[in-house]
Amino acid sequence: MKTVLIAGVGNVLLGDDAIGPYVIRLLESQYSFAEEVEVCDLGTPSLDLTHRIIGLRTLILVDAVASDDPPGTIVLCRKEDIIREGPGQRVDPHSPALAECLLAAEMLGAAPEDVLLVGVVGGSYEAGKPLSEPVRQSAELAIKAILAELSAIGLESTKQKSAIEPSTWWVDSPRTREMPLPSSRQ
Amino acid sequence: MAKRITIDPITRIEGHLRIDVEVDNNAVSNAWASCTMWRGIEKILQGRDPRDAWLFTQRFCGVCTTVHAMASVRAVEDALKIDVPANAQYIRNLILIAHALHDHIVHFYHLSALDWVDVLQIPKADPAAASKLAESLSPWTRNSRNELKTAQDRVKAVASSGQLGIFANGYWGHPAMRLSPEVSLLAFSHYVQALEYQRKALQVVGLLGSKTPHIQNLTVGGVANAIDLDSPAALGMNQLEQIRSLLAEVSRFVQEVYFVDVCAVAAMYPEWFRIGSGVRNYLAVPDLPLDSAGSAYDLPGGYIRSGDLQGVKAFKSPSDPIFRQSVTEDVIHAYYKSDKALHPWEGETEPDFTGWNGDQKYTWVKAPRFNGEPMQVGPLAQVLIGYAQGHPLTRKYASLALEKVSAIGGVQATPDMLHSTLGRHAARAIRACMLAELAQKHWQLLVDNISKGDYAVHNQPVLPSHEVQGVGTHEAPRGTLSHWVVIKDEKIKNYQAVVPSTWNASPRDRAGSHGPYEASLLHTPLARPEEPLEVLRTVHSFDPCMACACHAFDPSGRKIGVVKVL
Repeated sequence: MKTVLIAGVGNVLLGDDAIGPYVIRLLESQYSFAEEVEVCDLGTPSLDLTHRIIGLRTLILVDAVASDDPPGTIVLCRKEDIIREGPGQRVDPHSPALAECLLAAEMLGAAPEDVLLVGVVGGSYEAGKPLSEPVRQSAELAIKAILAELSAIGLESTKQKSAIEPSTWWVDSPRTREMPLPSSRQ
Repeated sequence: MAKRITIDPITRIEGHLRIDVEVDNNAVSNAWASCTMWRGIEKILQGRDPRDAWLFTQRFCGVCTTVHAMASVRAVEDALKIDVPANAQYIRNLILIAHALHDHIVHFYHLSALDWVDVLQIPKADPAAASKLAESLSPWTRNSRNELKTAQDRVKAVASSGQLGIFANGYWGHPAMRLSPEVSLLAFSHYVQALEYQRKALQVVGLLGSKTPHIQNLTVGGVANAIDLDSPAALGMNQLEQIRSLLAEVSRFVQEVYFVDVCAVAAMYPEWFRIGSGVRNYLAVPDLPLDSAGSAYDLPGGYIRSGDLQGVKAFKSPSDPIFRQSVTEDVIHAYYKSDKALHPWEGETEPDFTGWNGDQKYTWVKAPRFNGEPMQVGPLAQVLIGYAQGHPLTRKYASLALEKVSAIGGVQATPDMLHSTLGRHAARAIRACMLAELAQKHWQLLVDNISKGDYAVHNQPVLPSHEVQGVGTHEAPRGTLSHWVVIKDEKIKNYQAVVPSTWNASPRDRAGSHGPYEASLLHTPLARPEEPLEVLRTVHSFDPCMACACHAFDPSGRKIGVVKVL
């Protein structure tokens, strides 16, 4: 039973908005986690986040955030911070839904006990551009924050010896695949 | 004097849609729909391998991942002129159906229902009376007094804590809210249950697509599902049985709950069958191919002009030359350079941002036109086009809906009333029932085909060196989606996605014709112009989705004004 979700959120096609999915690629390729931990790139799930978080013990989200701080700054938020203001209408694809989904889960009595948003302040959200350098470099800090949170709830994670370079197909193309072709019985 | 109201943005889930209306004598006298954020994502596809395009297009939008992936592989297959094995068609169809069922359920319960249901009424409801009412409407087994009481207690608890949190952005106590406390309670209880069933629909997408939200099983030429009836690791009887049972559960919810709730709400707001019609030109493409070559389809397509159902024209397939030749995009009122309306294969995406000016440029959405005319797309178009052609499955559920609305509301509901805000909701529920029935059919088609010993899932694509062009379509939950690709030297030369919300949210064109959102708002009466609930109702009935863009959570928690009266 997966009771802890580490989810990367963001649009990989839009510059620094890819930081969430990028951190997930790093975690997947370089770490191994306790059995109850799921690591997932959720893209921009909007309201579909609700059914992903219902019944979890701990939710750790990694996402780009807007802030006056310089790009690459890590901003941490807890559940109370996120839902305090309620859902606004003036918010975008996945962000509005973050507060909304947490509130919906609260109402159902099934919200995660602990929520940590590991926000990385983005600089540029230009279509087709790779992560800006300060944001890419902040990935290590974001990972530290995630591992510290896991450790605080008693879950150990280990860095794999043969850590591989993560696949970031959206910038590495041409011709990369996330999955090989089938070998059906013909 | 007319005053202007700006609503920015209007979607509960996806930002970036701004609506401006001019109000005169408590009715809308003019309207502008605009998207406040540039997408331009298509440009990043140029120069890439066309076989990879779907991986990128499914990241256009977090809500519509699957549909953009599907339209993309279909576009490249059309350009390369390759067929798709029958198994691959059925597997794709099942994914599309499951995704659409999920999407329609979410749209109604989690996006639109709160425009009609006043949460503050729920604590006043009598759960026993609500349960009795529900049992008179539907055989659904989860409408017991206890189930409803539990749902009511949840609302009471939230209300008494003073934190209506999740509902904080609704217009509670608005004079246009009129459901009885019992119907409101039923709708809320189903809102909670809907979470469960839309999740089951997504599980089907995940089982077949190997992952959700971003499916991994597509490939140009077919699918990447290994079929082996005896292997638990491949697509075999185990998984197929799981899929069948999930689809059956979702289908029951759609037919016994969602469909009934829409009819009940519609029956209580009959005046909304006369509001919100707007553009009465409708467009839909055929979908759910029944064979490898795509020579027959389960869902009909075609077009209707000026609401003339008798004059409906049918498309035999998505490659109907009339469809392929008749689409253009006009940018005279959009923030792009170009002085003429262009066919998508010649389409350009060169930004030219000038700021909002209602007389000139005011949106990032282009204006797609069909033979130069604006078209409404979406479930209403799908249903009217099927109904007009005498398509049996469309007729079956459309007639059921009209009968049910008539019976509950004591009114005579006619097909003509579907050209309206409520017509869009009714059509979405009708379409969902059709898809629920077709889910069983396509599951059976897949199983029968595999049982014959056909395990083929993929045809190898060959990229020619000369220039080729293709169009891939999908009749998505929000309507006609088309991806247009030009391939040269094995690379993408041009790529344009004409998405449903572009058709519906389109601005005026050079002839001055409004897009469907804009036209649908004209003459709408507003009880309280400073709280334009009625505008939200009509715009939400289209299921707007302006996603296709990023944005970052703002941790400062600043409240930004939702409605400005200028």
